[in-house]
Amino acid sequence: MTTFLYLTRRVLQAIVVIFIVTIVVFCLLHALPGGPARGILGPQASAQQLAAFNHDQGLDKPLPLQYVYYLGRLVHGDLGTSYTLNEPVAQLIVQRLPKTLVLTVLSAIVGLLLAIPLGMWQAVRRNKPVDYVATTLSFIAYSTPVYFLGLILVLVFSQLLPLFPPQAPQGDTLGQVFATPQGLVLPVVAGAASMVAVFSRYMRAATLENLSEDYVRTARAGGSRARSLLWRHVFRNSLTSVVAMLGYYVPVVFGGSLVVEQLFNYPGMGLLFWSAAQSSDYPVLLGCVLVIALATVVGTLLADIVQRIIDPRVKEGRS
Amino acid sequence: MTNAERSAAAEPILELRDLGVTFTTETGEVPAVRGVTLQVRPGETLALVGESGSGKSTVALASIGLLPGNARATGGASVDGEDVVGATESDLARLRGSTVSMVFQEPATALDPLTRVGAQIAEVITNHRDVPAKEAAAAAVDLLRRVGIPDPERRASAFPFELSGGQRQRVVIAMAIANDPKVLIADEPTTALDVTVQAEILDLLRDLTVGSGTAVLLVTHNMGVVADFADRVAVMLKGEIVETGTVEDVLLRPTHDYTKRLLAAVPRLTVAEQGSERAGVQESPAPPEPVVDLRDVSVLFGRGSRAVRALDGVSLVVRPGETVGLVGESGSGKSTAARVALGLITPSEGAVHLFGADLHKTRRRDRRAMRSGIGVVLQDPVASLDARMTVAECIAEPLRVHRGRMSARERASRVGEILERVRLPRSFAQRAPRELSGGQRQRVSLARALVLDPRLLVADEPTSALDVSVQETVLEVITELQDELGFACLFVSHDLAVVQQFAERVVVMRLGRIEEQGSTRTTLMHPETDYTSRLLAAVPVADPVRQRQRRAQRLAAAAGGSDAVA
Repeated sequence: MTTFLYLTRRVLQAIVVIFIVTIVVFCLLHALPGGPARGILGPQASAQQLAAFNHDQGLDKPLPLQYVYYLGRLVHGDLGTSYTLNEPVAQLIVQRLPKTLVLTVLSAIVGLLLAIPLGMWQAVRRNKPVDYVATTLSFIAYSTPVYFLGLILVLVFSQLLPLFPPQAPQGDTLGQVFATPQGLVLPVVAGAASMVAVFSRYMRAATLENLSEDYVRTARAGGSRARSLLWRHVFRNSLTSVVAMLGYYVPVVFGGSLVVEQLFNYPGMGLLFWSAAQSSDYPVLLGCVLVIALATVVGTLLADIVQRIIDPRVKEGRS
Repeated sequence: MTNAERSAAAEPILELRDLGVTFTTETGEVPAVRGVTLQVRPGETLALVGESGSGKSTVALASIGLLPGNARATGGASVDGEDVVGATESDLARLRGSTVSMVFQEPATALDPLTRVGAQIAEVITNHRDVPAKEAAAAAVDLLRRVGIPDPERRASAFPFELSGGQRQRVVIAMAIANDPKVLIADEPTTALDVTVQAEILDLLRDLTVGSGTAVLLVTHNMGVVADFADRVAVMLKGEIVETGTVEDVLLRPTHDYTKRLLAAVPRLTVAEQGSERAGVQESPAPPEPVVDLRDVSVLFGRGSRAVRALDGVSLVVRPGETVGLVGESGSGKSTAARVALGLITPSEGAVHLFGADLHKTRRRDRRAMRSGIGVVLQDPVASLDARMTVAECIAEPLRVHRGRMSARERASRVGEILERVRLPRSFAQRAPRELSGGQRQRVSLARALVLDPRLLVADEPTSALDVSVQETVLEVITELQDELGFACLFVSHDLAVVQQFAERVVVMRLGRIEEQGSTRTTLMHPETDYTSRLLAAVPVADPVRQRQRRAQRLAAAAGGSDAVA
């Protein structure tokens, strides 16, 4: 199968998945108590007001037709209007998404850069003191709630030792955010901690599995030394399973950013989602859900493509 | 001067002195090898034979310093005068791949799946020689050519999954000979391969080693391979060497009881006119109605242009009480044919009749009843029994499904009865499968297959994972029960010798088609097709003198064949 054909097929599949997500989101929108009208007009609105609103918004039309309208609006980037902020949801998201991406992508990169070598090192030193220490730290990092970890980071590295500001950089543009990069350190560390914990475990397991494979023995029989074994053979073979996990990890990272942004007062998607959830601002919530679903689909697609680059067998569909 | 004579004069290049290997496991120290002393001289091939658990592979790994982390070696092992047992990892890395190298059993997993084969060979070269990458890559291509890979320039950039099993093994051999080692250790190098491929690989190993004076330590369980390839033989039993000698002495005039028993258990392929072990069934004028009847069956896997024709117009019958051997190499479709007979695969074309009724035209309930008339034994004795069930539960499962009205007490007595039938004590009923040996598990599988008194037993490679002595008992049990109970048997196997002993009729398959079929005696003694002849010629027999003649004949026939083509 050619790469072009494969890509086309995977993108089409992704589009189908996104369609299904829109149906789910649409149904959720209509499952709101009292419908969108009650949500927007509030509990004091009279029956006439509700009816008039429903008629104006086309909400008295049959559901399938409404879905088509909804899709039509989606295509034009119209995700509805926030109840509380009185701004189009799309605009709110566009303002905040880049900032969240900066935070999550930085956390992911830092997390993986630490997790992958750590996992490999643990595998090579299996059941030695360093492995036990790293395993214990991983479990602690994994089981510590992000908000608690964040608080500790602030207490230690901002209050006790005034190294970093306790608050993330404020500002609406990326330029303003990057103007005070030291402000990003604590949020990124808080976001990366669980990544390190989870992915070092994956990498450790994958490396251990590959170290016991026959091909490692063959390479050793050919006189390859430990270092070249690890980097030439085991590393790439172990990476495939980690990359496959990355795609599925996108929503988890977003979930983490929700807490991190709230904690460090970083005006991104997570903070938007957080305040929308507290004020029952459903259009914003559903818009965010749609964006996260989209990110997950794109994440898995990217993971599959990277997988294909690393592993030639995937091309033939017989991995 | 023969090879053996020439090497007898030289100093040994591989020397093991009182070698012991102990594994540290959760249950304590397990000695795997004790007091092994042997020498291999330049140009000599020493075969280390024995059954599973005899420690022969452990000796091989100890000789190249590749023992697993939980193993501890004592005594001495030296290659070209350098100590291996006490050597540091760095010293071993210097020796491995240059002075001593190794060919492994499983070509499917022996190569890094993500690295091109040329690069894997080049790595072995640059591990030991300070040459530019380009030169190493060119040398890798030359090596691929030497080991008989066609179009080596292009193949060097292939990934292992793009090569066949035989070609992968050639790549592993190319890696092993990349730096012209003085000692080559081959651990079951042909066990995972088809017989015709096995013959080619053995020819290749012989060509590569005989001329260059390389010493070979060949680990194998296959006496035919020993007869074909070895100059001397060492027989291992429970971690110790019980007999050593020249290949003629050990295979033709064994002195130790164990060697005698081992050789007696090896199924022999009868090729010349000799008395038959088992009377062939005469084709009676009105043969009884077959229990299985495959009529012009084709099976397609996949769709469209990517579809694979796994079976192509296959017709075969199994009549009551008879055993039909289904033989062929991997990919020949023999297992697919057996699955079609079981109703597990619905044919794309053609009809399957079981006990006289069309399997795919009967109603679901009747089909269930038909299924209860078939017992199945599969190849893997570990995977085919549920590890969470007791032996009794495994055997009773068909009773629960098909004899719902049976009381628990009746079931228990039936299980006990069938356990005795397969020569296992009744007390085994409460054991877990993992507590049993491979042969015992396979007899439990057989008990489960026979618990419903089937009219047909389908056995798919039932003994190929077992040692020869265990294989012999399992086959004996099947034969005995067949005489008592009178079921028919469809016996799928790659082992022509076993089929010749065991089956009255044989069906030879190749690439999804039936190459030929007939009574075992005539078909395997006087094959009609070229393919069957080649298949038979490729089987090594456990007699070094006759095997030498057979090899010469086979090579002459192959040369004649290629002349005719050219």
